[in-house]
Amino acid sequence: MKTLLAIAMSVTMLISCGRRSETKSLNITLVTKALDSEWWQRVKAGAEDAAKAHPGVRLAVVAPEREVNIDQQVAILEDQITKRVGALAVAPTGAAEVIPVLERAHAAGIPVVIFDTDINWPSKVSYVGGNNRRAGQIAGEYIVKLLGGKGKVAIIRGIMGVLTHEERVAGFQEAIRTAAGIDCVAVQPANSERALGLSVMENLLTRYPDLLAVFATNDQMALGAVEAVAARNLTGKVAVVGIDATREAVRAVEAGRLAGDVAMYPEKLGGNAVEAAFKAARGEPVDKRIDIGEALVTRENTQEFLR
Amino acid sequence: MSETARAVRAAKPYRTISAAALVRKLGPLLALLILCGALTGASDRFFTADNLLNILRQSSVNTLVSLGQLVVIITAGIDLSVGSILGLCCVLVALLMRSGVPPLPSVIAVISIGTILGAINGVLLTKLHLPHPFIPTLGMMNVARGLALVISSGFPISELPSGFRFLGAGTIGWVPLPVILVLMFCGAFHVFLSRTTVGRDVYAIGGNPQAARLSGVPVDARLILVYALSGLTAAAGAIILAGRMNSGFPLAGVGVELDSIAAVVIGGASFLGGVGTVSGTLAGALIMGVLRNGLNLLNVSAAWQTVVIGIVIVAAVWVDILRQRAAQKS
Repeated sequence: MKTLLAIAMSVTMLISCGRRSETKSLNITLVTKALDSEWWQRVKAGAEDAAKAHPGVRLAVVAPEREVNIDQQVAILEDQITKRVGALAVAPTGAAEVIPVLERAHAAGIPVVIFDTDINWPSKVSYVGGNNRRAGQIAGEYIVKLLGGKGKVAIIRGIMGVLTHEERVAGFQEAIRTAAGIDCVAVQPANSERALGLSVMENLLTRYPDLLAVFATNDQMALGAVEAVAARNLTGKVAVVGIDATREAVRAVEAGRLAGDVAMYPEKLGGNAVEAAFKAARGEPVDKRIDIGEALVTRENTQEFLR
Repeated sequence: MSETARAVRAAKPYRTISAAALVRKLGPLLALLILCGALTGASDRFFTADNLLNILRQSSVNTLVSLGQLVVIITAGIDLSVGSILGLCCVLVALLMRSGVPPLPSVIAVISIGTILGAINGVLLTKLHLPHPFIPTLGMMNVARGLALVISSGFPISELPSGFRFLGAGTIGWVPLPVILVLMFCGAFHVFLSRTTVGRDVYAIGGNPQAARLSGVPVDARLILVYALSGLTAAAGAIILAGRMNSGFPLAGVGVELDSIAAVVIGGASFLGGVGTVSGTLAGALIMGVLRNGLNLLNVSAAWQTVVIGIVIVAAVWVDILRQRAAQKS
């Protein structure tokens, strides 16, 4: 009997956390890949700001526990279809895996905006996002310029199988291929984690004492790598470049610990995704592609990104 | 009304004797019903045919994997490798079909591979005398996940043949096919555990391995079988997941080992071994599915869902201990 009591109590607790949304207003749900990092929290903040501009809109931001929980995201989407929301904005955790459930949303008459990571699905209303391949290229071009087109570089990357990281790596490799003197000696995974970024970088510095630059496919790993570089008094000698321009990373650029970073504008991303979903729900035309843009952050322009 | 009251009163002497057993047996099921009642009150979308089918579909993979985990936990063991075996099988079945093997032989091959990987866990445990099932299955968890990433080069393999997709995404009438498959598995495991000598051996090993050995139960062979069954259900889960998602992806099943352990424990099985039923585990898996679904409908974030499931697991085990103490006193 006590199990029942315990479960009933937890349910009551949760129901009081959840909101009932049975009004006549327009329900829009933004489904991110996770909410466990500064990046997604800023996407959420941007989305909520955009929703405030439209008093009739009720925005919900939901996500699986971690970016790798593709099946959990599919379940969330199924449940949103059951709720018959007015429109969905989705950052897909898997390029192919979410398509069957998105087809169901489309069949149910729910317009779907894709944001953050593009997928090859013709029924999407729009893709809102930066270009991850282009971001990788920007980082690659910057490192080529920093090294004068010559020297050993390495890549520290996020979990294999996650498209964002695949694209960032591909873009980077494309850019350094143009410089014959640049030699990419290693591509090591560090699961987007700071602690792993640190230990992978330590190993890289041991294995390749003449390493001159490292590209990390997100800021968490870049900030870990920076610590390994600093511990060996190599700051300024081994250049580390990250992606995402989290506040912490931009401050590291300002301090000269990170050589540079690529900004991807999360607030703008969340805001534009909500705007596009709002328009689609009201039957207004939406551009097929809404570009958020990406920009190189160096010591010269950090102030623009710290506001 | 008065008729039922009379019937209850008439049955009472009999019921008081087995009240504890009854609560243990029906506890998880009652909890599930109460949960459904509460969610029906909270969201007008919850108690719809569409949504209930959603829950069954969403719970099917976890239920399947939990059946194998249940058999392992009854022997006082644990299988940490099920999520990774599921991921590896997901990739393998997609790769086989991409290279031109028809769906049926691909499915048979992958189920066999999953079963063999599970059996290897059992062999490592019994023949290498590793100190606890935690060790071989932790090793297999890493090996299988690593192989899934190596074989797929990290990329998902999508666009699977429609004949195969039917297993995970198809329906017969209005019932999703995975739900039918899961019910068939539940039936088979129930019969195996409660009606066969080998099934009784499994409980005996969990209750007291020394006594089981002395009374002639071939403990090592049974344990290898048990872990092989767990590998089999993980592979079956992979088939359904790949069909449902139209893709074999190397990170499939991350965290499934913990979800399956949770379902088994919520369903009343004991980590000390010797206790656990298929119906309890089914209810445990459904409680988790219903919780997640209901909280999704209420737009409660995944982080809070995790908090709730954590509380439910601890509460369920705590009740289990209270029950055991009460049984010892009486």
